[in-house]
Amino acid sequence: MTSRELVRRTLSFDAPPRVPRQLWLLPWACDRYPEELRAIQARFPDDIVSAPAFHEALLPVHGDPYRPGTFVDEWGCTFLNVQAGVIGEVKTPLLKSWDAHEMVRFPEERLSVQVDEVNQFCRRTDRFVLAGACPRPFERLQFLRGTENLLMDLIDQPAGLHAFLARLHEFYMRELELWARTDVDALSFMDDWGGQQAMLISPQLWRTFFKPLYRDYVAIAHQSGKAAFMHSDGYILNILPDLVEIGLDALNCQVFCMDVALLGDRFGGKLTFWGELDRQQILPGGSRAAVIAAAQRLRSAFWRPGGFIAQCEFGPGARPENVHAFFEAWETLV
Amino acid sequence: MDAYDALRAAVIEGDDLTARAATEELLSAGHDAQALIRGALTPAMDEVGRRFEAGEFFLPEVLVAARAMKAAQELIQPLLARSKTPPRGRVVLGTVAGDLHDIGKNLVAAMLCSAGFAITDLGVDVSPDRFVAAVGAARPQIVGLSALLTTTMPAMQQTIEALEEQNLRADVKVMVGGAPLTGVFAARIGADGYAPTAAAAVNLARELTP
Ligand code: B12
Repeated sequence: MTSRELVRRTLSFDAPPRVPRQLWLLPWACDRYPEELRAIQARFPDDIVSAPAFHEALLPVHGDPYRPGTFVDEWGCTFLNVQAGVIGEVKTPLLKSWDAHEMVRFPEERLSVQVDEVNQFCRRTDRFVLAGACPRPFERLQFLRGTENLLMDLIDQPAGLHAFLARLHEFYMRELELWARTDVDALSFMDDWGGQQAMLISPQLWRTFFKPLYRDYVAIAHQSGKAAFMHSDGYILNILPDLVEIGLDALNCQVFCMDVALLGDRFGGKLTFWGELDRQQILPGGSRAAVIAAAQRLRSAFWRPGGFIAQCEFGPGARPENVHAFFEAWETLV
Repeated sequence: MDAYDALRAAVIEGDDLTARAATEELLSAGHDAQALIRGALTPAMDEVGRRFEAGEFFLPEVLVAARAMKAAQELIQPLLARSKTPPRGRVVLGTVAGDLHDIGKNLVAAMLCSAGFAITDLGVDVSPDRFVAAVGAARPQIVGLSALLTTTMPAMQQTIEALEEQNLRADVKVMVGGAPLTGVFAARIGADGYAPTAAAAVNLARELTP
């Protein structure tokens, strides 16, 4: 069975013969553990890949987001980074007020995707292919305006914020509609909605301003027969019912910040959990036995059969032997 | 509702204009600056902290409340300075070296400020040397260290060691916090206290400066 078929059957709870795998990487891990990484990738190849965007126009970015110093992204947001192998943070936001939102230049270059090239990429792989675009409306607002300013704006509700959010959403819709016309298997989007113990904004505010956007993104995917994948860090239990309701197919979130068993009881079988393995305790500090026990907990919570993707992130602090042990454990679990 | 109630309510609701007006009214009616802090601002922010911990408030609500509190404080501060009222305590605060996460640290700063502490916020990616220099200069009772990455947690221990090397450790209490931390880790690195939330950080700071 091909990887593509395997992932599809996982998403539809159609008893796939094994769990699909995907390793997420930060350059931090590639720099530090090149040998170990090669061994992990050779032994446990990914079943899910992202399509390159094959943009015809060059994206107007400057610098490398993963090196110390500054990086300017295609929206003109400047990130300051202090640590090799991870990303930085916007310290001087572009917008002092939403009144100035018209000065934001939308990166139309992102819409110059060469569809034929993408389709050729999809034809040449038997893996499950995610679109090479990932809208992040909440985070884009933060990058442009600064996180704390934006959080207060969500209470103050200046008119310019609504006007900009409408433009931003329209842009993201165009980008996703374009990808929906390619042969990729799924569209994806992201935004970090949680801290360690609670959501960053109230579920009510989220439902008013952001849920409708994601509903549209999922609809675009489904109208063209594709799956919808989403990532959010942090504790997001409050909005899980909403994500199920809008029809999300796969969710990558910090399940260990919440309660794995409870998530399984309430949401198992309703959407696929796209990982993960805890990055704060188990991956950096857990024993081999702790990794195996965690994989077993994930299996009993989410596997229906189907409904789980063995995904974990090899990022700052993670031990290569724990990444290895995680994928190995799944070989005997399913 | 008396003017104290109005000020308290304005802060809790994050209404900076009303908070400012209520403060002006109280001050011109001859109320003492300390009484305003004790009778309105501190209890209001304690309530905000309680609602945050209880999951009734989220970051936006807390941030606008802190903004309203600051609007009131700006009017009160000059009076406190004139009467030479000492702060509840002095805190040097920062996110440790290599770490850029500051949303939580900023919240801790705002809550401590509302509880009457004077804050020196060193920002993010603060090296042990910069903490040492700031402690030498500001002579705080408390040093607060924040870390959100498992890879920057060791910098907390290095900061404590640097304070020891400069013979400053005995003069200050060290409190630590941030998503991946635990009380066990705090004890292991020799910190004096750990708090899981900004509201708990205020209680901890109060305990550490009896
Ligand atoms: C927002 C966020 C970011 C933003 C930060 C914006 C900013 N200005 O702070 C950005 C996008 C920049 C970012 C970057 C990165 N991040 Co980040 N981020 C988060 C996220 C989603 C939320 C953090 C947050 O703000 N929470 C809300 C605040 C209010 O909570 P808090 O910080 O915990 O603070 C509270 C308490 O802890 C306490 N407290 C905090 N400080 C102190 C201090 C004292 C003295 C006391 C007493 C108490 C106290 O009080 C606060 C209020 O109640 C977390 C997820 C999570 N689970 O927490 C990941 C997370 C922390 N990030 C993570 C990672 C990996 C990264 C990156 C490496 C990602 C990358 N691709 O490169 C980079 C690293 C950049 C760097 N060098 O620091 C991981 C860390 C994993 C690990 N191994 O430790 C997390 C846990 C996500 C995950 N999925 O695992 N991140």
